[in-house]
Amino acid sequence: MTERRATIATLAPWLRLLGRRRGRLLAGGALMALALASAIGLLALSGWFITATGLAGIALAAGGAMTLDVYVPGSGIRGFAVTRTVARYVERLYNHDTVLRLLADLRGRMFAVLAGLDAQTLSRRRASDWLNRLTADIDTLDSLFLRLLAPAAVALLAILALAGFLAIWSPAAGLAVAGLLGAAWGWLTLGQARLGLAASRQRVDELERLRGRLIEQLQGLAELETYGTLAGQRRRLEAIEDRLYADQRRLGRFSALGTAVAGLAVGLGWLSALWLAALAWQAGALSGPLMVMMPLAVMAMSEALTALPMAFTQFGATLAAAERLNALEDARRDDADRGAASLRPGALALALEEVALRYPGALTPVFDGFSLALAPGERLAVHGVSGSGKSSLAALVTGQRVPDAGRVRLNEAPVGEIAADVLAERVACLTQHSELFDDSLAANLLLAAPEADDARLWAVLEAVELADWAESLPRGLDTRVGEGGRRLSGGQARRVALARLLLRDPGLVILDEPFAGLDPALAARIAERLDGWLAGRSVLYLVHERAEQTALPGVDRWQALSLLPEKDFAPPRGIFQDRAKH
Amino acid sequence: MTQASTSRAWLAGLARAERRRLGLAVGCGLVAGIATVAQLVLLAWLVTSLLVEGRAPSTLLLAFIALAALMGLRALAQWGQETLGLAASLRLRRRARGELLDHLERLGPVGLTGHHSASLAQRAVDQVEALDGYVARFLPQRYLAVLLPLVILAVVAWLDWLAAVFLLLAAPLIPLFMALVGMGAERLNEEQFDAVARLSRHFIDRVRGITTLQLFGRTAAATEEVHAAADDYRRRALRPLRLAFLSSAVLEFFAAVSIAVVAIYVGFGLLGYISYGPADQLTLFSGLLALLLAPEFFQPLRSLAQHYHDRASALGAAEGMVALLDETPRRSGLAPPAPHAAGAVAELEAVTVSHPERGRVLGPMDLTLAPGEVLAISGPSGVGKSTLLQLLAGFVDPDSGHRRLRTRLEVAWMDQRPLLIHGRLADNLRLAAPAADDAALHRALVAAGLGELVAGLPDGLDTRLGERGVGLSGGQAQRLALARVFLSEARLVLLDEPTESLDAESEAVVIEALMALAAEGRSLVIASHRAAPLACADRHLTLRDGRLEEVIHD
Repeated sequence: MTERRATIATLAPWLRLLGRRRGRLLAGGALMALALASAIGLLALSGWFITATGLAGIALAAGGAMTLDVYVPGSGIRGFAVTRTVARYVERLYNHDTVLRLLADLRGRMFAVLAGLDAQTLSRRRASDWLNRLTADIDTLDSLFLRLLAPAAVALLAILALAGFLAIWSPAAGLAVAGLLGAAWGWLTLGQARLGLAASRQRVDELERLRGRLIEQLQGLAELETYGTLAGQRRRLEAIEDRLYADQRRLGRFSALGTAVAGLAVGLGWLSALWLAALAWQAGALSGPLMVMMPLAVMAMSEALTALPMAFTQFGATLAAAERLNALEDARRDDADRGAASLRPGALALALEEVALRYPGALTPVFDGFSLALAPGERLAVHGVSGSGKSSLAALVTGQRVPDAGRVRLNEAPVGEIAADVLAERVACLTQHSELFDDSLAANLLLAAPEADDARLWAVLEAVELADWAESLPRGLDTRVGEGGRRLSGGQARRVALARLLLRDPGLVILDEPFAGLDPALAARIAERLDGWLAGRSVLYLVHERAEQTALPGVDRWQALSLLPEKDFAPPRGIFQDRAKH
Repeated sequence: MTQASTSRAWLAGLARAERRRLGLAVGCGLVAGIATVAQLVLLAWLVTSLLVEGRAPSTLLLAFIALAALMGLRALAQWGQETLGLAASLRLRRRARGELLDHLERLGPVGLTGHHSASLAQRAVDQVEALDGYVARFLPQRYLAVLLPLVILAVVAWLDWLAAVFLLLAAPLIPLFMALVGMGAERLNEEQFDAVARLSRHFIDRVRGITTLQLFGRTAAATEEVHAAADDYRRRALRPLRLAFLSSAVLEFFAAVSIAVVAIYVGFGLLGYISYGPADQLTLFSGLLALLLAPEFFQPLRSLAQHYHDRASALGAAEGMVALLDETPRRSGLAPPAPHAAGAVAELEAVTVSHPERGRVLGPMDLTLAPGEVLAISGPSGVGKSTLLQLLAGFVDPDSGHRRLRTRLEVAWMDQRPLLIHGRLADNLRLAAPAADDAALHRALVAAGLGELVAGLPDGLDTRLGERGVGLSGGQAQRLALARVFLSEARLVLLDEPTESLDAESEAVVIEALMALAAEGRSLVIASHRAAPLACADRHLTLRDGRLEEVIHD
């Protein structure tokens, strides 16, 4: 019972999402029902017609007088034949449209969830693995309506309607069919779902494990081959495959069992309908043609039941997908938890006090008792080798990561208490990688200032010396930059990212290797223009190494970040040295 | 076209090995189909007995029981068909994956350089799984779709040849429509694949940049955009779907119309309105049975049409796999002969190596390596340092010349990105020596300079390394790989840029450990362009135009 409640709770948010398109779902279900009803009608009416004509023919041959209207049933048969075909076609088209709309809803919703995650959660998994799984999960959930809910609901409805229809002439037959097919329906949906729950739930995990192991093996092929331990790795792979296939075999058997049960239930259903109808006929309660019609109508029900077991045996996969996506949603940082502190205009002061930060699973912390102070309008350059925590420092200041201990303040307000939109507006960050989107040049720039007109876009492109290049492009600002900006050179992408920054008006600017990939002469020219824009703002530069002959405009002070020694997990303060510039 | 036909041949070859199971599955399908026909015959007979002969239901109890028994038989046969198809599919997939993995191992690290490991894994895992529906359902159904309609047609023809003709009228059109259905399914598959891929790309693009979107406070707008992109896909995807569905609707139409035509023909015939042909010999039994058999005639074809997309996805997957299987390894896999010079670990004599796209990379060159020797190879990137190491490791064969290695020489390999498996620290170490005990692991860690770090870990050797070694710095990962070398019995250690991504301090620790390895009498070949590893070598050679030149240090 609690298990059922948990299942419903897991699916509830997704059912609510489906509920937003209630009208379409009902119409799709109605079309399914219409196609099924036509199939039942076609077979039942044909059986009735043939029996009626057969009996009439016998009566005629015996010299009796018999009138039979052959035209109404004849056109009924033709009508059902056409309705069935058309309804099935329209139903498939309409429901696929619905499914695609649902897919759009699901993706939109998932993206909204992801957009609310902090860097910590986002970086927990390797992007590509995680995204593949995420999209697979969305696609799995997408079957909730078309493969699970709608066919089950239509089948149940059809069973009840058919039983009611048969009960008009023979209540016993109606009851028998309702009982038999109703029980079968319960088994084919709930029973099959329960039977396949564990195995279908595991299947996705096992597949992912297999994929992960294999990637490891391929990446480490050189080492494994030379150590002669490939065979051992192969055995590990095969063990996972064995588990995967044991599950699949179980699922396949369950599903086959379901198919057999569906066939048997429909068979026994029409057999009992025939038996009871024959008794009723013998008692004179119904005519011969009606007696034939009843089992035939039940026979046509197999169309509604055969698809159920396969879909419901895999129900665990849908449930698991919903669980994973729900878990993701729970990890979302709650913006309501954030304060609503605002920041006054002008240059911001930044202070990190005794900050500790350690990534989950890391052997050594990134920061332990780290402090840093930046006065309003000051330009501080922090330098350190890769892995010393420069990106983590930027993530702490922009609120992407929360320190394990210590405080990060902007103008005395803790970063965590500043409203998210205020923080995004007042702190600008040029990240180490130029993150460009697979969109037009203009759209990538407009990200920083949606309201900016073309003149402003051209002005910032001018500042990074990309205006001439953009003008020479056939599509100008509408030129697409490709996935991750891949159609641009590294230097061009960097300059677009810089131009994007210039569209903003922040009080604190974080620049992570701003001129990476640019030749020194160009970097110097851009730096000059950047200098003017940086006036009146606080600046935090993050660079690989300290260089006195730097292109960075107007550095006031240098500070070193060093790797924490491994032997000493809680080193005394002073792991960084504060060195004033001369 | 040839690609498609070889992948078809490869699939057929795999299926041949499973022909016993698949044949049994077809047999079960036939039994189920014949049981269905028998049920319908009994039903028509029962109706005639009741309505025409006027027998009481109770006198026909035996026939009812026989019907129930036939239903049981049919259910059993259906179960058999599905489980046998599944068993064949599981065995076939296992064999296909095995074949693929064997081939990947044969290709080796050099053969796989052009591939992305994630896409290879996707091929060996997901594409192999994509064969399932084709083997388990489509293949048996392909035979049943021919055999069962023939059985039914024969029965109908025996009842009334004109009714059989009505069914047959649709028959010449069936291959045409099957082709249409097939094309529709393939198109549907391609369209779906294409569009979904495009949509996923958009989605992934935005998710990758989510931090940037957060930094710019633009997540709400991006969410709208994701929704709009998916909705746009819907509009474009529906057009081809219309065609795809139309082709299967035609099959449905034939099934429905055939019932209608047979019903009306039989009805009018029974009334005596039709005097042509066999119509006047129709009875309620033959008429009803002909009607009941009409939908069964089309049912196997409809099932086949449903499984058609399984075929399309299997063929698509097979193409990808066959392309991989067609790549030829660049090595024979034979054990190299022993060196001529007494005591030498490895000897290269006038060897050359060429890469298909780059031409000759190495040689002709000679090299002899003594036990315990530390040899450094320098040279600008792309000059062939890695190729030389790969040649010594046996990942690639020389195009000409001789490579001689000490018999049963154990080799260790280390490059910039050491293998870190998801698991415990101990599992990662035992990759080099599965049988090593904990004490040996600790000794190796100490030798590699990780002793103190691991001693400070609460779980020690059982510490779990995060996904893909997250949690280890570059230097720590490198020293872990070194600990593996210490653990192994390797007498020849090949190191490709071992300190490339390390800061000076970590580099010093790694080099110290390397010297300890040499002190154990192991031979080291270090390819690097950094000063520190080169300075510590016994011999320093530089590669220029594929040849080695001695560098004399002062």
